[in-house]
Amino acid sequence: MEKNKTSEDSIKILNRRSFIIIIVGAILSFIVSIRLFSLQVINYKFYKKKSVENKLSIKLTPPLRGDIYDSKKNLLAGSSSLYEFVVFKNLSKDHFQEIIKLDGLIKLNLNFDEISKQLKKYNEYTGFSLSRASWKQIVEFEKNKFLFNSIKIIESKKRYYPYKNFSQIIGYMGQPTQSPEPYSKGIFHLEKSYEKYLRGIPGKIFNEVNSRGRTIREISIEKSIKGNDLDLTIDLTLQNYAQSQLPLDKKGSIVVISVLDGSILSMNSNPTFDAQIFEDRENNKIKDLLNDGQKPLFNRAFSGFYPPGSVFKPISALVGLQRNLINPQKEVFCKGHSTLGDRNYYCWKKKGHGKVNLKRAIKESCDVYFYELAKKTNIDDIASLSSDLGLYTEYDIGLSNKGKGLVPSKKWKKAFLDESWYQGETLITCIGQGYNQTSPLQLAILYSAILNGGKYPIPKLDKKVPTKFTGKSLNNEHQKIIVNSLNAVVQEPRGTAHKLSISNPEFVKIGGKTGTSQVIRIKESEREDDQYKSKEIEERFKDHSVFVGYAPYDKPKYIASVIIENGGSGSAVAAPIAHKVLDFAYKNNV
Amino acid sequence: MFREFKSIYNLNWIYFFILLIIFWIGEINLYSAAGGSFDPWASNQLIRFLFFLPLFFLVTMLEPKFIYNFAEIFLILVLIGLITTLVFGYTGMGATRWIRIAGFNLQVSEFTKIALVIFMAKYFHKLNAEKTIGLFKSILPLFVSIIFFILVAIQPDLGTAAIILALGLVVIFYAGIKLIYPLLSLGIIFSMSPILWTFLKPYQQNRIQIFLNPDIDPLGKGYHIIQSKIAIGSGGLQGNGFLEGSQSSLDFLPEKETDFVFAIFSEQFGFTGSILLISLFFIMFLIPVFKTYKLTQVFNKIILFVLSFKIFFEFLINISMTIGILPVVGVALPFMSYGGSSLLSNLLICALLLNFMSISEKKRMFS
Repeated sequence: MEKNKTSEDSIKILNRRSFIIIIVGAILSFIVSIRLFSLQVINYKFYKKKSVENKLSIKLTPPLRGDIYDSKKNLLAGSSSLYEFVVFKNLSKDHFQEIIKLDGLIKLNLNFDEISKQLKKYNEYTGFSLSRASWKQIVEFEKNKFLFNSIKIIESKKRYYPYKNFSQIIGYMGQPTQSPEPYSKGIFHLEKSYEKYLRGIPGKIFNEVNSRGRTIREISIEKSIKGNDLDLTIDLTLQNYAQSQLPLDKKGSIVVISVLDGSILSMNSNPTFDAQIFEDRENNKIKDLLNDGQKPLFNRAFSGFYPPGSVFKPISALVGLQRNLINPQKEVFCKGHSTLGDRNYYCWKKKGHGKVNLKRAIKESCDVYFYELAKKTNIDDIASLSSDLGLYTEYDIGLSNKGKGLVPSKKWKKAFLDESWYQGETLITCIGQGYNQTSPLQLAILYSAILNGGKYPIPKLDKKVPTKFTGKSLNNEHQKIIVNSLNAVVQEPRGTAHKLSISNPEFVKIGGKTGTSQVIRIKESEREDDQYKSKEIEERFKDHSVFVGYAPYDKPKYIASVIIENGGSGSAVAAPIAHKVLDFAYKNNV
Repeated sequence: MFREFKSIYNLNWIYFFILLIIFWIGEINLYSAAGGSFDPWASNQLIRFLFFLPLFFLVTMLEPKFIYNFAEIFLILVLIGLITTLVFGYTGMGATRWIRIAGFNLQVSEFTKIALVIFMAKYFHKLNAEKTIGLFKSILPLFVSIIFFILVAIQPDLGTAAIILALGLVVIFYAGIKLIYPLLSLGIIFSMSPILWTFLKPYQQNRIQIFLNPDIDPLGKGYHIIQSKIAIGSGGLQGNGFLEGSQSSLDFLPEKETDFVFAIFSEQFGFTGSILLISLFFIMFLIPVFKTYKLTQVFNKIILFVLSFKIFFEFLINISMTIGILPVVGVALPFMSYGGSSLLSNLLICALLLNFMSISEKKRMFS
């Protein structure tokens, strides 16, 4: 190799270049340091928080749900212990073999395909519930415990509903969710609307976890706090008694409210269902229930809207009085029908009532009297008074499937049917047919409004809710005339429900109004007529039997509103039920 | 081939001591990465270190002339090694980077860096009569650098390939190429970058995109950067303390023993520890560099300067990756990342640096 001479200049260049590279290196180091300063000093809190969030896992423990009681502290919904076989995937590789072994040892009839499908979705540290464990099964399991590493018996709380006939008030709970909240939530009726109130505050277990979610150690525990108890206005004995009075083979409902404070004392709907099957996860029964054509989930007293029939007549009468369209003493001649234009509107009594004044018209439920009144009436006045007296109003008492029903007006018909109002429709609206749709609860409230002189207490199921009155005062005179007439319906001969005071004279004396709600238009003349009952009418086309009554008639305290679907006339079916229930309420001073 | 044994007293023992300190910090770090256990990383790395130490001292005792004479041979050896890797290589994590030699998985690309610098040092040494080097004279080293860049890049190992190319360019720059050329090529690279982008593999494009915005894939590919930044940021000024890094001990930090060791270190020892570590590496960089000012032989100067720069450069690239100012390209942290090839090649570099630092240029060296 040739000798290489190094020129002085060349060396200087190298040294200069080295200096440039050192400067660049220093600048890069400085940039890195600035960045580190920004991460570790300026944004320290942000990253520290992220780091803590990374490693902290908060496991919620389900709180004990608040109990639900009736007005006399009888338990209607509580919590009971539930024992389940739970498999934890992380405890054994052979967890699936153990499941099969368990099924062999204790006949659980597990569906392995379904379980293996479900298991895949579960985190290895989250237990998967295989089946409920009975005491016998627990004993059997404990004897062979050494065989199972991944299966444990875990106690949890489930909802317990001792009475079947409260399901349409209390509702039920949904399936427990996996995360983030480890408890089930109410999804129907009071369980739903009082969810936050009843739920309580979950406990928290703070765990340190690694990146795969495995708990490394427990840091701290906050205990769960039980939810609030809920006291209802319902009276258990009355609820049970009323249920027993509803005919088993008919759909129907009965609601009893207090005239004094709007408390709902009982609310039954038939058929009913057992909310317990949702807690017990009896899937076949749940499926049957959801597919039941009788719709047992449907609370007919609250969400069932029917034409009110003749129980609506007091509103028409009040409009007549308020507008000075009628003189209560002046008689109208009922010859069995009334004519408007070229159409006849029939009274239920084909041969006519003869001369009727207002009181007789209500007492004997004369349709012609109200047709004549309707001819002079504006439908909007009817609609407006109906709303004032509690109809066409949605009640928020904590139940699901709320509705306001319908009392038609000109505006409504234009908006929904795009048609103008016919006077003929006023005639049938005034006797409670036509577009009218009211719930049994609304009818009870209507009568509460009438008995209270217009201002009525808002209905309630929650005992803690303070009594609040709403509505507009009625003219005292008018109110007396109407209440007198309603008393006469039961107390005076020829009243449509006079039979009640004859057949059960020892019962509390009541007032009220019968109604027959048309399902299809059977000839008007046939309604409330005895010959109607003998007619061969297919069951589902039979009229609904309606009665709203109150007791005692001279100092009303209770109102019962009854509907029996396809039951026939109000006086024959609904009225006796209401009378018995009112008597029970009165005698037991619920 | 070897110098007299007594020349071992001339070695820069301060430099060796700093090397030991950094290696020991790395050991402590691997110990904490395993959650306070020598097993598996710290112990393995220590065994490797002790195993390589004889070789290390052997290299410090080599005659510089021997290294000079065999420069081309080294280059041919790594070329053969790289081609062998591509043909018979052992594939892991989607890349063919290793060959098995005598029971070791060897990453030839690590040694390519050394061979390339030695080769280019010799090349420019021979040209040293010229004040500044024109473009024409730079074509051969540039071409060689690009060949090796491509051979490594198709493994694919873009990080190492980029380091190889960068070292080649640093040698050319240091050797005194006219300033116009580096400036011009920088301009060209910037303007060509959209075209270069299309040559990148989808996963490489992905990494760069995630680097620019890790939040587009927080649980996927952006996870590394996000978790690394959390680890470093949560270290704060003082650090969480030895073995107190939750990001590390609870396994939130992936690849914590290799590319992300710095995050482990910084989580435990904070900003203060990080700055001390940067200073240590900077001092380690400067010690051989100061020696270059006393030397006049271009070969010696390039070996000392560029190889010393290589360690510091990889250090900076690695921590820039972990703090999110460079994309994650897979460059190891010298003496701290777990891995045999990186440790061996960096030890060889330090041995060469110690060797060349002990040179006294009284006599003509290369003839």
